[in-house]
Formats: sequence, C-alpha cells, structure tokens
Amino acid sequence: MAASLDAIAGRAPERMGGVSRVLLTLLPLAAVLYGLIPVLFAGQPYWLNVMTNGAVLSFASLGVWLTFAIGRVNIAQGAFALLGGYVTALLSTLYGVSFWLCLPASALVAALVGAAIGWPLLRLRGIYFAMVTLSLTEAMRLAFLNAPGLGGGGILNIPRPAGLDTPLAFYLFAATLLLAGYLLVWRLATSRIGWVFRSMRQNEELALSIGIDVARYRVVAFAICSAMGGVAGGCFASLQQNIYPASYTVSDSINFMLYCFLGGLDFVLGPIVGTFGLVIAFELLRSIQEYQALLYGILMIVVMLFLPNGVISLFPLLVRRFGRGAS
Amino acid sequence: MTLLSVEGLTRRFGGLVAVNDVSFTVSEGEILSVIGPNGAGKSTLFKLIGSFLPPSAGRVLFEGAVVSGLKPNQVARKGIVRTFQETTVFKEMTALQNVVVAHQLGVTASPLGTFFSSAAARADERRFRDSAAEILDYLGLGHVKDVEARNLPHGYLRALGIAIALAARPRLLLLDEPFAGMNPEETDRAVAMVEGIRKRGVTVLLVEHDMRAVMRISDRIVVISFGSKIAEGSPEAVRADPAVVEAYLGKDDETIGH
Amino acid sequence: MEQILVNGTILAANYALIALGITLIFSIMNVLNFAHGQMFMLGGLIVYYVCVVLHLPYALALIAAVVIVGLIGMLFEDVFFQRVMRISNREENTMLLAVGTSLLLENAALSLFGEKQRAIPPIVSGVYRIGNAFLPASRALVLVLSLVLIAAVLVFVNYTKTGRAMRALAQDRTATLLMGVDAKRISTLGFGLGAALAGVAGGLLISISGVNAGIGTAISTKAFIMIMIGGAGVISGSLLGAVVLGFAEAIGYALIPGSVTYLLIFVALIVFLLFRPQGIMGKPAA
Repeated sequence: MAASLDAIAGRAPERMGGVSRVLLTLLPLAAVLYGLIPVLFAGQPYWLNVMTNGAVLSFASLGVWLTFAIGRVNIAQGAFALLGGYVTALLSTLYGVSFWLCLPASALVAALVGAAIGWPLLRLRGIYFAMVTLSLTEAMRLAFLNAPGLGGGGILNIPRPAGLDTPLAFYLFAATLLLAGYLLVWRLATSRIGWVFRSMRQNEELALSIGIDVARYRVVAFAICSAMGGVAGGCFASLQQNIYPASYTVSDSINFMLYCFLGGLDFVLGPIVGTFGLVIAFELLRSIQEYQALLYGILMIVVMLFLPNGVISLFPLLVRRFGRGAS
Repeated sequence: MTLLSVEGLTRRFGGLVAVNDVSFTVSEGEILSVIGPNGAGKSTLFKLIGSFLPPSAGRVLFEGAVVSGLKPNQVARKGIVRTFQETTVFKEMTALQNVVVAHQLGVTASPLGTFFSSAAARADERRFRDSAAEILDYLGLGHVKDVEARNLPHGYLRALGIAIALAARPRLLLLDEPFAGMNPEETDRAVAMVEGIRKRGVTVLLVEHDMRAVMRISDRIVVISFGSKIAEGSPEAVRADPAVVEAYLGKDDETIGH
Repeated sequence: MEQILVNGTILAANYALIALGITLIFSIMNVLNFAHGQMFMLGGLIVYYVCVVLHLPYALALIAAVVIVGLIGMLFEDVFFQRVMRISNREENTMLLAVGTSLLLENAALSLFGEKQRAIPPIVSGVYRIGNAFLPASRALVLVLSLVLIAAVLVFVNYTKTGRAMRALAQDRTATLLMGVDAKRISTLGFGLGAALAGVAGGLLISISGVNAGIGTAISTKAFIMIMIGGAGVISGSLLGAVVLGFAEAIGYALIPGSVTYLLIFVALIVFLLFRPQGIMGKPAA
C-alpha cells in the first residue's frame, strides 16, 4: 500500500531496484491514460478532445513544476507555448516540414530562447521573477502581433499531423507524450539533480557555498521547462490547425502555474492531477451555463483554503486516517 | 607553507569604507582568527574572502592563484568553503540528506549518466551516503541523521552547518562566528570540534566577536577595527597589544580573554 | 506636445492610485495582490451599475465602489489570507492564493455583469484648452479627484496614528508587534485601503474609457510594471513608477501603434531590471 501510494505521488521508494521503480511509477498513470480514458470516452470525440487537451496542458504544466522545484514562480509558460506554436506553424506551412520534425524544432527554439532570456532573469527571485515572467508572456504576444511578415499574427491552415487522423489517434499520441514528459521530470526530480534543485529552492546561498553552480542548474531547469512549453504549443497549433498571438495570454501562463499548485508542488504527479482536475471540472460545470465561471472560481479558492499543499496531499491524509481506523 | 594570502583587500559601500587595505596570510594547517569589535568589518571581510562580495580593491590568492572575482561556487571548487552565521541549513531535508547533497563537488558521473542511473552515478550516491554518515558521526550528529533539519534542536544546527561545509572537502574552512551565543559548555564542545576539523587536515580561518574561545584555539590572530588591521600575532602578543586593548575598551567594556 | 503632457498627467494620476494600493498591500502583508486589477474592474462596474442601472449620482456611485471593494479586500484578508499564511508550508502560497482570488472576482463579475464593455455618460461637459492641448472637463475632474485622493492617502499614512502603524508594520513586523500594535486589525485595514484605492481608480477610469469584466489582468500587469520600475513596497517608488508608465504610454500612443508601445515598454523594463532588479527606489536585496 505504502509503496503504491508513493508511486501515485511520484515518489517511488528508494530501496527498490531501478527498473521496478520506474515501472511502479509509470504503471498507474499509464493504466489511466491508455486504459481507463480510452475505454470511457472511445465513442465520444468531444470528451476525447477534452482529454487530449488535458494531456498536452499537463505536459506544459510539468515544465512549470520544474521551475517551482528550483524555487521560481514561472508565469512565462504561455510565452513559450506561443513560440513553439509559431515555430511549428511556420515550418509546416511555409516549408512543408513534417509535424514530427516541427515538434523537436519547437522544443529546441523554445529551449534556446528560454536559456538566453533565463540566464539573466533567473537572478531575480520571488515576486520579482513572477512579475517579470508575466511581463514576458505579454511581450511575446505583442512581439508576434507586430512581427514583420506575419501581417497581424494569425497563421491558418496548419496541416494536421500525418498519421494522427482520428481523435483517438491524437489522444493516444498526447497520452504518450505526457507519459514521456512525466518519466523525464520524475527521473530528474528523484535523481541527484532533483536534490540539487531542492537545495537551491531551500537556500541558494548555501547551495553556492558548497560549490553548486546554481546559475547553470537554474538555466537548465528553465530551458527544459520552456522546451516542454514549446512542444505543447506545437501540438496545439497542429491540433487546432491555427495559431494567433492571442492563443496564449497571461491567463494561460497563470493557469499552468495554478495547475501545479492545485495538484501539489511536492509531487511530480501534482501538475497532471491539477490540470486534469481543473479541465474536467470546467467541462462539467458547463451545464450550469452562466454560473460556470463563478463556481469554477469558488472551487479553486476552496481547494487553496483547505488543501494548501495540493489535492494530492489529501491522499496521505486519507490513508493515515484509514490506516488508523483499521488498526 | 602559505595557503591563503589576502593582499590590500578593500571594500567600500558608497562613501563608507567597510574593509580598508587589509593584508594577511594563512599557512597550511593553522587556525587563524580574525577578531574585532562589532561593526569592525569582519563580516564584510569574510564575504570578500569567500567571493560572496567583490572587492573594491586588492585581491585574494589561494595556493598562489587569484581567486577574487570568481563566483562563490568556483571558489568552493578550489577548496575554500564557508559556513554561515546562525542556522543556515536545508530546512526541509533530513540531516543526512543535507550532508549528502553537499557532496556535489565530488560527482564523477556525467549528467546523462546521472539521469539514466549509470554504474558511476550509483557509485557516487553510495560514496556520498557513506561519507555523509561518517561526517555526521565525526561531529556527533549520527543519532539525529534522519531528523528533518527544521525539527532539529537549535544546538545541533551549527554543527550541521559545519558538516555541510566539510562535505565539500575544503582545504580551507571559513567559519563565521562559530561560537556566537554559546554558553561556556557549548563553547567547549565547539572548540573541540574546530580542533577536530584541523586534525582532518583542514586549515581553519574563523571570524569571531567573542574572544574567550578564540584565545584558546587560535595559532595566530588578526585584529581589525574600523575596517583596518591593527594587530597580528600570537594570542599572547595580541592580548598584550595596547592598540587592541584600546580598540576593544574604546568600543565596549568587554575584556579580552581570561 | 502639450497634448502628450496633458494625457500623460491624467494617466499618471490614475495609475498612481493603482500603484499606491498594490504597494500598501505588498508592504504591509508581503502579498503581491494579483487580484488588484480585478478590484479595479469591480470598482468600475459598481460605478456603472449605480449610475446607469440605478440612475443614482456619480458621487454616490464612487462612494459605493470605495466601500464595497474596500470591504471585499478586508474580507479576503480576514478569511483567506490569514488562514493560508498560517497553515501553508511554502511562501509562494499567498501569491497563488492572490491569483485564486483574482479568478474568483473575475468569474463573479462575468457571471454578474457579463462580458460587455461598460461605460457611463460624461459627468461634466465642456473642454478646456491649455496651449495647443485639449482637456475635456470630465478628464479634468478625474485628474483633480485622483490628485486629491493621492494627497489624502499620503497624509493618512504619514500623519495619522493608524497610517503610521501601517508603515511601522511594513518596516519591521516584529518590532511593531512588540510595541503593542494590533497587527491583525492593521493588516486587515491596510488590505482594505489598498483594495479601496483600486476600486476608486476603476470607478474614475470608467468615466473616461469604459471597463469590462476581463480587464483585470491587464491592469494588474500595469500595476506590476509600476512597482517593478519604482521598487516593490516603496510608496515614493510606486508614485514614480506611475509617472514613468503614464508618460511612456502617452508618448508611445502619440507616436507609434499601441501594441508596439507596450512591446517596447516590456523590453525596456526587462533590460532595466537586469541592471537594477530592486527598481529605482527599492533597497537592494542583501
């Protein structure tokens, strides 16, 4: 029980062998993504599309979780999704590049831009970093709005990815992407590198004093985060077949951050739980029309007030209570 | 043999000169203390040597090579590691995790190897865990190694700070006021700890305000007042120096060593 | 040229109210109020509701905006922030809670007022001419009211007992607690005052350019720009930030398209922060 719980929380027990730890961590998520969701929604393209959105948004949120891990509140992920989206859009419409090559290109461009901007900006901490990354999202939107040659920004008729013709096919691709992203971030977080990140979050000066190249680790984390945002943007551009400067705004950047927070910052699975939870809640509230937005807002506040360490922090609590009752 | 030399180190903040043309050397294997009344510039000097602050003039040499201007993590890589005043530790880690993570300079595995948990990476991890456990035992923290740092009794935190610094395998350890706020009994233990560190082959430079322990432990003492060096020598010589007596008595009525 | 000066002055005065409010909240509570723009928006929509739907005078509407938004601020501080500050184990949590309250306010406004852009008829008519510049009387009124309010706030925090307690709390929380100040009450009041300033700024601006439920994030972004320029938590810095942003905007809008103006402002801001991360008036981090 405890082992599988740790696996659910993305914290496989330390004493297990490498391969079985990886499997134990991945299997529950894989079962949901490849088993439960396709079975539940196979005949419902609308919901399958919602799940696809959830998976790609989760992928981007996982990146933001990494910057939380180094102690930075990152409100720039929308900017990198926009950048990645434009890279995919331009390459595929202008040069006919295949989606499968556009995606790595989006990742690369986003990572390079992220590293170049992050190198100086990551010196800022706390609210300053949050505010400046928020400004970056808005600056990116305005840059594409005014970019010469784009004529106001929108790119239409982006080809859909070759081989992903049905909603189910695209969903399965998104699920695979998410699983790969989860494996990447989980492995980073549980390896020595994750401990270095944790040390930087808890005390940057102390980390410096013992020889940790804090500036470099910060840039690496931010570049990986940006690359994940870029990939998500590329996927959406291709899925929706269009992109506009307003496709990602400050609100989107804020949402990525909130998904991590509401799922739980102490768990690698947090951003995934947070994203799917809120995306599904938003869809379910659609039936009450005019009060959808209001209830969504209230729901969010309630989670923050009663589970300030995220939804996943509920599981250990429940297990403890349940365990005590049984014994 | 000279390990560290400080040459004409100066630091200004606006019009204020916090450290003024201070020079001295530290020999391999010795314990050297920098003392001075409150506000004498000890903390600034400490930060300058650890490269946590750039100097306005002058330089710091370690084993003959200039280290001022490097970043703190690069200075640590050369072998100069500092501790912090108060209780600076990684609060949300256990004592053992604190010291394990402080071994980053000893990493042999490549980043990719670390990611894929190569044999070298696993060997690193094993080595760090063993070494961390040894350091904690050495400093008398073995029995609290699995306690999260924020739950440790206050008295253990300074020792944990030193354990973290030792994990980086320093040649020269900079201790920032290691005896501040301690009662005589705690000071005795801390003095023994610093002696023990020297026995491990680590040279010690400490900055301290309270002088009783300093007089007992130091091979040599450098005294600064208003940012300038006013005396240097053995504890006995410094204690007898009229300039030192005046600096201390002029500032407050603390007596110099007993 | 004169027109740019006139427009810049009006913008700067309105922005100063926004920046003062967010600075008060930040300095007292150490909370970056992400909901500041939404409070501004709410102030504007309340004025719209009282003036246009209830047909009551503008002065009454403005008072309603101040009182209601101020009370919402106090309520948020008392019910949400104090609780989360007590039980959360990460300091980011208050910032994220502020984000949550901003979504709550925005979604509430969407449900209550819809997404339409709302405006009110001009309160006073007529145009003044200053040199070559034109100053409509309604804008002159907004300018005068903004300046009066700024002066009132400055007098309040500098010369009244409660205001001084707020400043003391901002400077040194522990020492102020030792002096027997009721920190909980002062914090609640400070949050309320900051929110009320956002509300009144919105209530004033709706008479010039209209307000909609989705405007909050853009206003918060402007508030952040101002405190990044001036230095977070410094009252003089917030006023300076407002002047810089107000005039940058007025000059930019006169010479180049609006969206390029803000692109340039953002680029300049990011470059500026690289050299002076604490802003013009902020104290450097230790």
